[in-house]
Amino acid sequence: MINIPEKIERDIYPYLPLTMTHLLQQVDGAVMRNIIEIRLRANRPLQLVMPDCKFAVQEHGKLSSDFQKGYICSEADVTHTIQAMSKNSFYALEQELRMGYITLDGGHRVGIAGQAILNDGKLKAIKNISSMNIRISREVKNCAEPILPYLIDQNDRVFSTLIVAPPRCGKTTLLRDIVRSLGNGKMNFSGVQVGVVDERSEITACKNGIPTLDIGDCVDVLDGCPKSTGILMLIRSMAPDVIVTDELGRKEDVIALSEALHAGVSVITSVHGNCIEDVRNRPYVKQLIEEKYFDRYLVLTDQPQIGTVREIISVKDETVLFSRKNDKGASLCY
Amino acid sequence: MLLKFVGSIFVIFAGSYLGFSIAKRYIKRPNNLRQVLSCIVSLKSYMNYTVMPLSDSLMNCAMGANQEVTNFFITTADLLKNNYLLMPQEAIQKSLILHKNKLSLTKEDCEVLLLFGCHLGEMDREEQQKYLTMIQKRLEILEGEATALRDKNSKMYRYLGVCGSLMVVLLLF
Repeated sequence: MINIPEKIERDIYPYLPLTMTHLLQQVDGAVMRNIIEIRLRANRPLQLVMPDCKFAVQEHGKLSSDFQKGYICSEADVTHTIQAMSKNSFYALEQELRMGYITLDGGHRVGIAGQAILNDGKLKAIKNISSMNIRISREVKNCAEPILPYLIDQNDRVFSTLIVAPPRCGKTTLLRDIVRSLGNGKMNFSGVQVGVVDERSEITACKNGIPTLDIGDCVDVLDGCPKSTGILMLIRSMAPDVIVTDELGRKEDVIALSEALHAGVSVITSVHGNCIEDVRNRPYVKQLIEEKYFDRYLVLTDQPQIGTVREIISVKDETVLFSRKNDKGASLCY
Repeated sequence: MLLKFVGSIFVIFAGSYLGFSIAKRYIKRPNNLRQVLSCIVSLKSYMNYTVMPLSDSLMNCAMGANQEVTNFFITTADLLKNNYLLMPQEAIQKSLILHKNKLSLTKEDCEVLLLFGCHLGEMDREEQQKYLTMIQKRLEILEGEATALRDKNSKMYRYLGVCGSLMVVLLLF
């Protein structure tokens, strides 16, 4: 269904220094299929991160858990990689760099860390980038199929849903398949008009505004637009039935979201947290929980594997529709 | 006698050609610099307002310039587009080597162009604008000097070519 090594070769190798590319090309294909992150740190070992372990890469692509034996990334390796990933255009990625990431073609997000430059107490830029985390984007088609019955009522209305999960639990992958399934329609569901506000170009991996991933036929994407502005723009201009967006967190996101929910548009979005209690303690987002804006909460976990649904809760009648605790061994997703 | 006559004509043509081609380089240089300047002004706009990646900005900014300057910018853009690991300065250097013969630029002009590539794309929008404005000013100074040299030397080399070759012919007779 998805060929991760091929994706890495196509989307990531062109930006890496040749020595590093050569090393990674020699790593066993089975390992590369499971890779979720490639981490580069100046003067420290290159790391390949799998769901439950991490390795350094030695000569001839051999993997080792002893990091000191692995390939050590030089400062120049990191500098050249970020320069290449920005396509020599830092000025064009000012906003993203300020938020600590850039997104590559194919929807792979690259987190960065380095020295912060402040201006009037606000972060102006990040210079001397010393760490990079390349997160491999995955497209798992039909992974949302088992949860769709919990998100759609008998009148084909889509429930407003909040997906709660810590990082690396498959929120974006699940959202992407939800978008595709809602846009195309599945089984008895005829499909709805979906609007996606893809602030980080991760859900749809747009290139020049056009999605490069299969996201369905009835989907409009507002690429690179802040959620707070994008949600309102979509409501006014594209009349969607459902708006999908990723990673809530700021005050203005919450305001825009409550406007959408009051405008009769369903919203499916995600937020970082281990459980609903975590989200209830987060500033701004807690308001959405307290005032019961959503119809469904969907909690994801990475145990036993990434993308496992731990709980689906119906908010209005406060019932648990699905729980892994009650339903041992059942893994709804992936 | 006929051989002498033919030889003299050949000498006059060769001398004049040499004079005219040197004069042409003096005439072309300010023109090339002006075109590069207008491309840089347009590049500033593409970077600041449309926020295009560098290779696309370089490709677009060259539209409307004369053939030699357009080719120089397009080659630089292509090199950057086809190899993400290439730095802008390296791309400019390679492009200059490829188009050196067609562009009438001096060593000093090329140095400013390499300097132009030195920090291209490495800064945020505001700093990039300041940097390009500095490059623009240096090119304007060079353009002023090139115009003065053109006024001074272009006629002189033309006359020198023609008159020099005539003098050689007279001496041979």
